[in-house]
This record gives sequence, structure tokens and C-alpha cells, in this order.
Amino acid sequence: MIDLVSILQNANVRPLRLFPLTDPAHWIAILDERGQELACIEDPSALAADQRDALDAALARRHFVPVIRRIMAITRADDGHDWFVETDRGTTTFRIETDESIQTLGGGCIVIIDKLATRYLVPNVADLDRESRRKLERYY
Amino acid sequence: MATRNPSEIHETLLQQAEKRLAQGERLIARLFIDLDTSLHFHSGLMVLTSARLLHVESGSSHAWKLKDVDDLKLEEMGATAAIHLMQAESSVWHGRITSGHLRDVEAFLAKFKEQRGIATSESEACEDDDDVFTAEEPVRTVSAGKPLARLLQFSSHWYQLMLLGFTLTVASTAAGLIGPWLTMSLVDDVLIPLQSVSQEVQISRVYRFMLMLAAAALLTWILKWATTYVISRVAERVTSHMRRATFEHLQKLSLTYFNKKRTGDLISRIGSDTDNISLFISINFIDFACDVLTILFTAVILFQLNPMLALAALGPLPVVAWLVQWVRGNLRGGFAAASRAWSAMNSVLSDTIPGVRVVKAFAQEQREIERFRVQDQHIFDTNDRVNRTWSFFEPTIYLLTDIGLFVVWGVGAWSVVHGNTTVGVLTGFVLYVGKFYGRLDSMSRFVASAQRAAASAHRIFDILDVKPDMPITSGSLKVGRLSGEIEFRGIKFRHGSRQIIRGMDLKIAPGEMIGLVGPSGAGKTTLVNLACRFFDVSEGAILVDGHDLREMDVIDYRRNLGLVLQEPYLFFGTIAENIAYGKPEATRAEIIAAAKAARAHDFIMKLADAYDSTVGERGQQLSGGERQRISIARALLINPAILILDEATSSVDTETEREIQAALDHLVKGRTTIAIAHRLGTLRKANRLVVVEHGIISEMGSHEELMSRSGTYARLHQAMVEVNAA
Ligand SMILES: Nc1ncnc2c1ncn2[C@@H]1O[C@H](COP(=O)(O)OP(=O)(O)OP(=O)(O)O)[C@@H](O)[C@H]1O
Ligand SMILES: [Mg+2]
Repeated sequence: MIDLVSILQNANVRPLRLFPLTDPAHWIAILDERGQELACIEDPSALAADQRDALDAALARRHFVPVIRRIMAITRADDGHDWFVETDRGTTTFRIETDESIQTLGGGCIVIIDKLATRYLVPNVADLDRESRRKLERYY
Repeated sequence: MATRNPSEIHETLLQQAEKRLAQGERLIARLFIDLDTSLHFHSGLMVLTSARLLHVESGSSHAWKLKDVDDLKLEEMGATAAIHLMQAESSVWHGRITSGHLRDVEAFLAKFKEQRGIATSESEACEDDDDVFTAEEPVRTVSAGKPLARLLQFSSHWYQLMLLGFTLTVASTAAGLIGPWLTMSLVDDVLIPLQSVSQEVQISRVYRFMLMLAAAALLTWILKWATTYVISRVAERVTSHMRRATFEHLQKLSLTYFNKKRTGDLISRIGSDTDNISLFISINFIDFACDVLTILFTAVILFQLNPMLALAALGPLPVVAWLVQWVRGNLRGGFAAASRAWSAMNSVLSDTIPGVRVVKAFAQEQREIERFRVQDQHIFDTNDRVNRTWSFFEPTIYLLTDIGLFVVWGVGAWSVVHGNTTVGVLTGFVLYVGKFYGRLDSMSRFVASAQRAAASAHRIFDILDVKPDMPITSGSLKVGRLSGEIEFRGIKFRHGSRQIIRGMDLKIAPGEMIGLVGPSGAGKTTLVNLACRFFDVSEGAILVDGHDLREMDVIDYRRNLGLVLQEPYLFFGTIAENIAYGKPEATRAEIIAAAKAARAHDFIMKLADAYDSTVGERGQQLSGGERQRISIARALLINPAILILDEATSSVDTETEREIQAALDHLVKGRTTIAIAHRLGTLRKANRLVVVEHGIISEMGSHEELMSRSGTYARLHQAMVEVNAA
């Protein structure tokens, strides 16, 4: 077993979630600078505390999937739709191009991929407020 | 700061940056960043000036002298990237940005490197009047408008027919109102006098009225028939125009678009959505026009007959209006969902049917049946939802009708008793009110179909509004026949945020044959895609015969290209048609010559109908190697200046490959050829071999040179020899 604390000090070594959307908590690969896998951790919660902290810190530095809390507006633009949303990382606007940009992952979970390939997550559509759901409804 | 429009924030940031400039300081480049260091959305701006680097965000800013900044380093971290400001080997500041902006970041870093070189060598930069600080191109928000209004615009082409249709509608509606009017006279002037016996009446008047009623009915019938005919014609024309326009538009869109779309979805948009629209225009739209007219006419008549009665009768109208408004939004969402459900089902079909061999091989029929069932259930559910709203709405309208009639009877009876109204007028009134509310009922149905059509129109305009991101018109340079010199000049390319080509320089002389080799996923196909201009490079340029590819007319350029794809694709049609795909006017002699050159002639002769054999969709019933040879023949037939072979002979046996090779050796003469192959032997005749790895050219030279260098090529070769020996 490799020592995550020391190995993750190297800025070029990076952790990678193998199921970033459907199971972000498990299956984390550690890659070296050339993209070769050094280790693959099925369940990080089984790691020692210091190891886990190092891993969590490294993941947090890279992880970026804003979770949509509220949909303020969806407006038609000339190539797609502009979404104005509130996420766990603040409010933002993004543009999606086609209906295929909205994918369902089962269990009410949907992923929205904007024009610039950023992923936005709605963990469960049923948890959104009524207004947001109503707006979303037209699009997926 | 919940400002919806990012360009407003950008504007203020720019102004803020401008204020911080010193005397004589020039702006070189700028970069908007969209995250803070904790990865929350936050707008910031990096500005490169002639002497400094600035970072500005609302309320604060930093500045560094260019000569103090050793480097700006880009760290790509999947969905985001960091820009590190390096001083003495360590990062003193960093900004974060989502990866979608990497193209901009790279451009900014390039400017920075250039400017830092100038600033440290103290020489004055050449004035370059790229006005970096003019606000961004204003984002053109929505010409769109309401989809139904745009639909009307779409139909304006046939305004004459529409006008005719409309006139007929008015006429037939008016004719439909003659009946009650006659009834009124019939009651007051004939029936009541008849009954009271006190007066003398001629029975013949009854016959006259009956005749007139019949004539009115006949007239209505003829006019309605003409109306329906004319309007259906308009509807068919509009939708056929729409289908064609959509398909034409699709053909102009770039591969990037098709990479994102599901086939089934596109098919369902062009198929069933246009159908919804057609139905709407042909049936519901006239109905609606009739309804509105009838309602207007009857309202006028009612008020003329008896204003008080009319007011009483129309009492429930505002409630209806409110109901319609309420139900509209509900239905619209429902219909949009239904259309999407259709798309999803079509997607399952277009996924499963071509893949039927895989389905069967893995014995997953049941799973596909289940997948289809789920989608079908989805359609059912969405329709069910619409119906729920609907089933409440329609009876409510009925109820209101009944209330209206109830009021009329009540008030009418009262008036008759008090002598203000005659029985005839009351009868006419009831008939008119019945018509009125009957129309209201059918109008409510219109609400539904209008919403359905709006949802469908929306989906069509979704396609029509996609601007071809690589406009065919962008370059207008007509090149004619090229000599085939190709130069890749410092090209880079990204698919989304993933960098696939990381900088390549390669010059190919006219008539030269280049062999591209390298590990799978290295970017070979991507490179030839760029050469075909299926995508545009993100940096650098591709020059053909000295012209930038982007300046050329794409269609004109591609006539010079013969392309054999890694996955050969045959269209439904005969073999001859498939071979002549790029040159439909080719003679039979040419077709046979091309087939012979591609070593396809022999196997074609064995087919039941030889060159007239029909190959199904994707050429399912041909073997992989046979399909490849047909696509080689197709490429050869157009006698291209540039021949691109992507694994063109990977599925044929070595013997056939050697034969095709021999033919190609003969054919590559006089044309530039780029051949990709994993079997290195295929490339014996190549003038130069180019090894592509991780998006760069790692080695280049002849077979012997590369072998003696014992690098990647030698390794690939060694591996191949071992496999063959084993
Ligand atoms: N449309 C696309 N969107 C995103 N990434 C893509 C797309 N097409 C290709 N890629 C990626 O680009 C990389 C290079 O692909 P490319 O097809 O050029 O490889 P190649 O060298 O032709 O490989 P092979 O020898 O297997 O054909 C691959 O890693 C692939 O995943
Ligand atoms: Mg390839």
C-alpha cells in the first residue's frame, strides 16, 4: 500500500474519481504525471485518518461539479438556452446547446453539461422547489 | 451579487482595470476568470499590460511588474484549471477557471510570454491595435419570439393561399349563422301566429323558410369544404417547407453538432414534430379562426337582439378566459415533455435496431424490450399528465356553457313574461348562445393543440437556430484543383477541455506519401479530421497550397479530398451508387475502373446482381474488408488531389492488402497521400513515416532511419514482429 500523504505532495500526482457522478465516494484512482495508475482505492473510508485527509484535500482541490439548488430562470438564446441557477458554489449562468446536454442518471439524478463542458448536478429533481422543477420540466 | 448578465460584471471589471492603468501603460490582453480559489463562482479579470500583470475582482486588485513574474503556469485539473503566477520557482498567486475557457487561457499565456520577452529586453513592442478592451461582442439574445408567431412568419410565403383560406373561413362561418336567424323569423312570423290562430298565415311561408334553411346549410357545407381543402394545402406546404429547411440546415451543421445529438431525436423532430404542426395548421387553426369569428358574430348578434340578455349570457366568459390562461402553461410543459419522450423512444429504436447483432450476441433482447417499455411508459405517463389537466378543463367549459344557457332561459323567460322579448328572439338567442359556448368548447381544444404545436415548433426552431459553427461561407476562396501541398503549422486542438493535439509542425510536399503511425488514441484520426476541416484548429493553422484552410470554400476544398474512413459507411443503394457517391455523373467504365483499382471488382462480380446489388443500411451484408474496398473505390473515383486513408486496409487479409497496396502504389502517384496504419508493412511505400504520440509528433523519417533510432517506431515494429512470429 502506498503512502498517500507523501505521494500526494507531488503536485503531478493526482487522484481521479472513477465514478464522479454516480459514486463519488468510492473507487478513486491515483495517477502519476503520465496518467498511469499507481493505486486504486475502492473505499477511502477504510483508510487511516491521515491518509484519508490527504486524499480528501487532493480531491477537493480538483473536484468541481456544482450542485444546482435552485433554477432562477431558463431563457432561450440563439443557440440553446441560458440557465441562471443557484448552486452550492454560488450563482452562475451557463448555456446549454441541446436537449442531450441534460442526462438522467436514474433515481431522479440529472447531470447538465454546459456548452463549455462543465458538469452541473441535480442529485434529486424531487428535492428542488416547485418553481425550479416546473422550469426544468420543459427541458428534460 | 446575483447579476444575471455576466457581460455586465465583465464591463465593470474592465472599467475598474482601466482606472488602475498608469500613464502610457498599454493593454495587451485580458482574461476573464470565473472562479475563486475555493472554487466558487466569482468573476475576476486578469489583464496584461505593456509593463504589468493585473488581477482585478470586485473590490480588490493586485498588480505585478512583468519583470518580477518569472512565469505564468497553467495547471489543468479536469473540470477546472489553475493559473499560477510563479516567482522564484514557487507559486505566489493563483487563479482558478473552468476548463471550458482553456482556449482563452492559452491565448492569454501566449501573449504574456511574448510581452514578458519584450518587457525584459526593454525593446518597444510594435503597435498592435487589437483593441482588447472593447467590450465583448454583444451576445445576441434571442430573436426567437414566440414559436407560434415564428410559425406564422414561416407560412408567410403562401400568403395568397392563406388569404383565400381566410376569406373562405369568414364566408363559411357567416353562412353557418344564417340558420338561427331564419329560425327566429320562422318562430315569430310563422309558428307563433300559427299557434295563436288569431291571425291569417300562409303555410307557404313555412316551405319558403325550410327551403332557405336548406340552402343555408348547403352553402355552409360547400364553403367549409373549400376552406378545409385550401387550408390543408397551406398546412402541407408549410410543413414540407419546414421539414426540408430543417434537413438542409442539418446538412450544414458541423460534426461537432452531430457528435452531441442523438439520431433518434433528430428523426423525431423532423418527423413527428412537423406532423404536429401540420395538424395544427390544417385542422385546429381554421377551427380556431371559425371559432373566433363565430364568437364575435354571435356576440354582436346577441347584443343587437337584446343587450341585457346578452350580458347575462356572456357572464361566465371571464372565468373561461382565466381557465384558459391557467391551463395553457400546464399543457405546454406537458406537451414539451411528451415530445421529448417521443424523442427518447426514437433514440432507443435508432440505437437498438442497428445494434441488433450485439443485442443478440449478448442475449440482451429482454433488456432492450425493457428499455423500450420504460420509454414507452414514459410517453404514456406524460400523455396521462396532459390528459389529467385536460379532463378537468373540458367538463368545466361544459359546465360554464350550461350556466350560460341556464341564465339565458331564466332571464329570457322573465323578459318574455314582461313582454320585452318575443319567443322567437328567445329561441334564436338560445340557439346562438349554444353556438357560442359550443365554439368556446372547441376553442379550448385549440388551446391544447396550440400548445402542442408550440412545443413542437420550439423543437424545430431549436435546430434551425443553431448557427453552423463552421460556416460554409466563412472562406470564399475558390481553389479549384489543388496540387496538394499541406502544411500543419504549430497546430493545437482541443475536444472540449481535453487537449488532443498539442502542437504539431509538418510539411507535406505535393505528391508525397506520408505514413502516420502511433499508438491508439494518439490523435491520428483527429489530425486527418482537421485536415478535412471537420473541425477547426484551436491554435496554429493548416495551409494547403499556401492558403489557410479557413479562407477556402469548404465545399470546393473537399472536392479535392478522397477520404477512406476507419469505419466505412455505405448508404442504402446499389454498389454502383455507393462507389459513385462523390461523383454521381460517373460513367460505368469509371466505376468499374475504380472498383478494379480498389480490388473490389472480383467480389462484386460474385454478388447476385453484381454492381446493381443493393447493400442495406451501412452495408450490413458485406464483410468488413469488402466494405472497406468499396469505400476505397469511392475515394479513388473522384480522382482526388489529396488522398486520406485512415486504416483503410485494416480489415482485409494480407494478400488482398498487398494487392490494394500495389494498386495504390500506382494511384498515389501524383497525389498527396496521408495513410494511417497500424500494420506498419502497409506503409512501405511511404516517403516519410510520422510517429504521433500523445498529440505530438515524436519521430519522423524513413523506415530505416526510424529503426536505427530505436525509439517508439522501432518498439512498435519489434512488437509487431513478435506477434507475427508467435
Ligand atoms: N469527438 C470527440 N470528443 C472528445 N474526444 C474525442 C473525440 N474524438 C476523439 N476523441 C479523443 O481524441 C483522442 C484521439 O483520438 P483519435 O481518433 O485521433 O485517435 P487515433 O490516433 O486515430 O487512434 P486509433 O489508432 O485507435 O484510431 C482519443 O483519446 C479520443 O478519446
Ligand atoms: Mg483512428
